[in-house]
Amino acid sequence: MPVTVSRLPARAARPVVDGFAALGRHSTFYARVLAAVPTVLVRYWRHVLRHVNDISFGSASLLAGGGTIGVVFAMSAVASTQIGLEGYRGLDIIGLSPMTGLMSALVNTREIAPVVASVALAAKVGTGFTAQLGAMRISDEIDALETMAVPSVPFLVSTRMAAAVISVVPLYLVGLFASYAATSLAVTQLKGQSSGTYDYYFQLLLTPGDVGFSLLKAVIFAVIITLVHCGYGFHAAGGPEGVGKAAGRALRTSIVTIAVVDVLLTLTIWGTQPTLPGLGA
Amino acid sequence: MAFSPPPTRTAVGDAFAQAGMLLSFTASTIAALGRTVVRRRLAWRDVLDQTWFLASVTTFPSLLVTVPLGVVVALNVGSMAGQLGAEGYGGAVVAFVIVAQASPLICALMISGVGGSAVCADLGARTIREEVDAMEVMGIPAIERFVVPRVIAAVVVTTLLACLVMAVGISASYGFQTLVLGDSPGSFLGSLTEFSRVEDFVIAEIKAAAFGVIAALVACFKGLTAKGGPSGVGDAVNEAVVLAFILVFVANTVLTELYAAIVPARGAY
Repeated sequence: MPVTVSRLPARAARPVVDGFAALGRHSTFYARVLAAVPTVLVRYWRHVLRHVNDISFGSASLLAGGGTIGVVFAMSAVASTQIGLEGYRGLDIIGLSPMTGLMSALVNTREIAPVVASVALAAKVGTGFTAQLGAMRISDEIDALETMAVPSVPFLVSTRMAAAVISVVPLYLVGLFASYAATSLAVTQLKGQSSGTYDYYFQLLLTPGDVGFSLLKAVIFAVIITLVHCGYGFHAAGGPEGVGKAAGRALRTSIVTIAVVDVLLTLTIWGTQPTLPGLGA
Repeated sequence: MAFSPPPTRTAVGDAFAQAGMLLSFTASTIAALGRTVVRRRLAWRDVLDQTWFLASVTTFPSLLVTVPLGVVVALNVGSMAGQLGAEGYGGAVVAFVIVAQASPLICALMISGVGGSAVCADLGARTIREEVDAMEVMGIPAIERFVVPRVIAAVVVTTLLACLVMAVGISASYGFQTLVLGDSPGSFLGSLTEFSRVEDFVIAEIKAAAFGVIAALVACFKGLTAKGGPSGVGDAVNEAVVLAFILVFVANTVLTELYAAIVPARGAY
């Protein structure tokens, strides 16, 4: 059967082709979203403001975090308490526990605060985006928008993108503050280190440049989260269960992307042999 | 179903109502687990199905997160230790950062984010279609049939996954430190073996199991209490993920501190 033989490579290549098709669909979607952001800031600025409010304070349920600020604050504080305790333990075995302040200034600023705040943002805001857009997609509301000649991608997704970038700056700074405060409290109160020693090393190693790059990381992660989660929500299919599954797949993709982009950004910003500011080289 | 929440007006009241319901849900799950084991009607096929499903959706993403994480740890530790004159210290840090902290946390993020959202979506969709109510009417308890197998499956998957994450994370950190940063393999392995403890591995496995229980319970609870059509399922998944992440982070700190208080640190540099 020559027909079967000739189709065999095509069948084997099916997953690869489908993968490329999905990649292309998502990339086109991302490009359309980003291209429309300047337009929506002028045309749909009221919706952008409403989304800013939803992202920062939305969802009255206190158990779900009392808004994104609460979630980012809580997760950053708990993770950085851990940094203080583990950092103290780790430096203590080489007799350098007085320098725990540098853990907070370096590790919190460069890695932990951006990644933890972004994971919190992905869980709270990102999954919310997928749920909202997915519910609209499967109840044909997005098609209805298109029928009424409202451009669905700018109206639904680009407004969320603009709102996410606007809200992530204060949200992230709250998270960064929580990180510093939690590490400091853990080291000085739980481990009983003198706060003068802690603050000396903390301020010696904390530079404005690092805080700026840290904020840059958080903004880049917020853009990635919005693109990925909205993309999965916008293309959701398969009823109520499909929306939930899309939320899970989006979270998986965004966490993996954040981890990979984080290491690339760290290498780009601080190089493969990062130096400690303030201690000489 | 006994899972419908009492009407509350304030956010604080809602939080307490939900916390109480989650506790009673946990208690009934433990009771149901005991009952199914004693009466030998544990749904083995469901346990196997769920284990396979959770393992298949979480393994690959976990490893994709672990490799960059190992590189980040090596990068930060290598630079810091080099300037403080403590080369080879990287192995010691890997011993307690990747083994005791990172591996259970990565498993927790994946099992509650990826696995938990799928479980919550599945159960939520069945709840709003009233399939769960129909099963209760037919005398099949939802907790015994749905929740118990998923909790067991989550524990099995997280404990196994934690080992895999440790192996990959240590290898990534070792490879980056020796091949890219040019540190000595001998001193890395030397400090790794000097500072590693079996207790670290045991507590990591205990943590991973605890996180699996938390993720599965929260996902099932939010799924079985979903209401309000398709968008209700989406909201349930959202709340489940957020709640599980926060509970896991808090549990991690509590377990770590309990452990540090019980087992003293070993080794001198």
